[in-house]
Amino acid sequence: MRAIAVVFLTVPLLAQHGRYLSDSHHPSIGNPEAIAAGTKLFMGSCAGCHGPDGGGGARGPNLVRRSLWHPLSDEAIFQVIRKGVPGTDMPPTKLTDDQTWNLVAFIHALTGPASTNPVPGDAAAGKAVYWGAKAGCANCHAIRGQGGKTAPDLSNVGGSRPLAVIRESIVEPGKDLTYLGNEAAVVELKDGRTLRGVAKNRSNYSLQLVDGTGRLHLLRMSDVKELTLQETTAMPVDYGTRLSRTELRDLLAYLAAQDIRPAEGKGSK
Amino acid sequence: MRRTILAGVVICLGVVGQVRHEDVMKGAGENWLTYAGTYAGWRYSPLNQITAENAKNMVPKWVYHVPGARGLRSSPIVYQGVMYITNTNSVYAIDARSGRLVWQYADPRAQKGGVNRGAAIWGERVYFTTSDNYLVALDRQTGGLIFNKKFADVEKGTTSTSAPVIAKGKVIVGSAGGDSGMRGFIMALSAETGAELWKTYTVPAKGEKGAETWGDLIEWGGGAAWLSGTYDAELNTLYWTTGNPWPDYNGGVRQGDNLYTCSLLALDLDTGKMKWHFQFTPHDTHDWDAQSWPMLVDTEIRGQKRKVVLHANRNGYFYALDRVTGEFLRATPLIDKITWAKGVDDKGRPIQLPNIEPTATGNWICPSVKGATNWMGQSYNPGTGLLYVLTLEQCGMYFRSSQEPQPMKNFSGGGATEEGGQVVLRALDPKTGNRVWEYPMTGAGRMWTGTVSTAGGVIFSGDDDGHMVGLDARSGKNLWYFNTGELLTASPITYAVDGKQYVAVASATAVFAFGLFEPASGVEPPVVRMKK
Ligand code: HEC
Ligand code: HEC
Repeated sequence: MRAIAVVFLTVPLLAQHGRYLSDSHHPSIGNPEAIAAGTKLFMGSCAGCHGPDGGGGARGPNLVRRSLWHPLSDEAIFQVIRKGVPGTDMPPTKLTDDQTWNLVAFIHALTGPASTNPVPGDAAAGKAVYWGAKAGCANCHAIRGQGGKTAPDLSNVGGSRPLAVIRESIVEPGKDLTYLGNEAAVVELKDGRTLRGVAKNRSNYSLQLVDGTGRLHLLRMSDVKELTLQETTAMPVDYGTRLSRTELRDLLAYLAAQDIRPAEGKGSK
Repeated sequence: MRRTILAGVVICLGVVGQVRHEDVMKGAGENWLTYAGTYAGWRYSPLNQITAENAKNMVPKWVYHVPGARGLRSSPIVYQGVMYITNTNSVYAIDARSGRLVWQYADPRAQKGGVNRGAAIWGERVYFTTSDNYLVALDRQTGGLIFNKKFADVEKGTTSTSAPVIAKGKVIVGSAGGDSGMRGFIMALSAETGAELWKTYTVPAKGEKGAETWGDLIEWGGGAAWLSGTYDAELNTLYWTTGNPWPDYNGGVRQGDNLYTCSLLALDLDTGKMKWHFQFTPHDTHDWDAQSWPMLVDTEIRGQKRKVVLHANRNGYFYALDRVTGEFLRATPLIDKITWAKGVDDKGRPIQLPNIEPTATGNWICPSVKGATNWMGQSYNPGTGLLYVLTLEQCGMYFRSSQEPQPMKNFSGGGATEEGGQVVLRALDPKTGNRVWEYPMTGAGRMWTGTVSTAGGVIFSGDDDGHMVGLDARSGKNLWYFNTGELLTASPITYAVDGKQYVAVASATAVFAFGLFEPASGVEPPVVRMKK
């Protein structure tokens, strides 16, 4: 798990995938009808291999996970569906352009930034869940300057992460997918002081620690006597049971709408 | 000895505090808080650990490769051991001691690409602008977004490239895009919320005073403000330069002086009201933007002590103006070869020579379109009393197209060549405008590095073929050089962490930090324990 963490360290927090650099503005993307039509086609022609939710099956990979290490532009997804992946089980298709774009819209909804797709749930209710005491998300995370500073900033979480990835970071945190190199740490310094917080970007020579008050400490490893790292993530692991299904759905709708770029008339907010 | 003491005391940098007006007013020191280090534009630091005697012992301390960078234009900001550097639509916070990334912020969905000249810092926040004109405020410790607010429309031809300057809680931003037709402006936005406080256009609207100096295309007249400027707190005045009129090379469609292009504007910080203006190049047809630093220096001119603004202009002349009134005091040649004017008259207006306009077949004029100098940061050193300016001895062919000008079609009404030429770093005496020494460089005239100078008597710059250089500030004698292996495209700064002085510069793709040689001591890794 730690080995995977290192790979994700190089990923910009607010711009995880390079993919929207080449985002097409094809009208089917983010369009609920196109996505619905695409879902149907996917169930018929693709789910046998990729699983009904694109989560992977015996003969085809999990498309969400795959998009994290092999991000594709919408145009490239179109070409993959049309031509297949030669030399593998992924077959070419004979679908019309429209049908193919509907499938692209479905895969974009699955793997593209959540804010560019329609998302079920009530974002206003989700806002109350997020800022409420039961979930307590704001103790650690900030959105637009409000909240804690020890966990990743969520101002652009909808603009940079697929919905499935956001869901997974909440209900199954610490799974390799979203591990971002935030290590809960206790640092004992040679001068006798002890600092607690989240360690980032640690090397054998230096360490950056954000303490509980959000203060950044730039430390030299030569000044550290002992460093204790938590194997598991600092993100609570019980949200899958602590929150009801409705609360979770609404919370996801709220997070999906967190985007540093205004909506430009796409999807539902 | 001093070093051992420091090592014993300062072992950990806890980043506390916030940047206040008085901190920026103090100028550079350990920190480097604004693009030019001081509001007056000096790029000068009182740090004196690196001296003319020991600069020969300088070595690289770290390199940070900015992902995807191709021609960084960013001048770093440093506050309490963290360096902030920008690239197109992105900011990187780097541990200024180790070169390790602390956080990064990227907005790859901005509607435009293009260069970015740097960030600003105020309170607990780091500010920068995206190419599509959003002011972005970030938490300086985590990089978390606090707000992003659009202040102008790319649809109207405007983009943003300059580092904001922040004074008394006002974030001053400008407008780029003047070569394709747009209406230039300078704006003040609230550092607290990003809300607009004032906006001053650099080109009048039809019917306003100054509009008579234009033709029909006035609404697209240009006068971009793509470089930040300087600030005199006592006079509460901003000094900002403006770019060329549009279409650049075709003056036929805009008869008149084309106010307030190719000018220096003195604006009231609180209201944006223009206190005075001075136009260096009336009716410019050679793309000689006035973007070069307005340096605020108090000096004696013809025996009289004055508050002066010094300005080395792309058009080939070096100006001194009274910065209270805008009165023209003096202009002297900045470069050896000027073929478009015979000199400057006693009102400050250039005495133009005949047949200098671009033509269909090309007109050979000196200086070239890149200009006798450009936006490279200059440095004023109060210890030597000298101003250090990068100059370019270069001529070029200027062409005019008879094509109908169409705004925002990336049409500049013609074109120009930049041929051969030589970059020369010159030390000028502000009192007289005379050259005191010069340092000629080799290269193709493609660098964008400026200078920084210090109380240690050293001036750092980059030469025109990728070497960082350290020169004796009094004599211009070379003390040290280092080959970065690529073009230098931004201006250096200096700062200190843990009592150690560094010099940093952004090259085309990376940030380099240099300091005095110290033998490595070897690191024994601390005990690391993992807890379930
Ligand atoms: C017979 C099984 C099978 C079927 C049916 C199938 N796929 Fe695939 N698909 C695969 C396999 C295997 C891969 C991985 C190919 C590889 O190893 O590069 C893949 C890869 C992909 C990729 C990722 C390509 C990349 O380069 O990252 C996409 C997108 C995709 N499939 C979409 C679809 C769609 C849409 C359909 C229905 C029209 C479909 N697949 C039908 C087996 C299948
Ligand atoms: C005790 C602190 C804490 C609380 C409370 C907390 N989180 Fe987290 N969260 C973290 C940390 C730390 C990470 C980084 C995960 C890692 O690196 O292991 C994280 C990661 C995440 C991510 C992934 C971020 C990314 O950039 O992909 C999301 C989404 C998220 N949390 C949402 C939430 C939501 C929603 C809540 C409330 C229901 C919440 N968190 C509550 C600490 C917290």
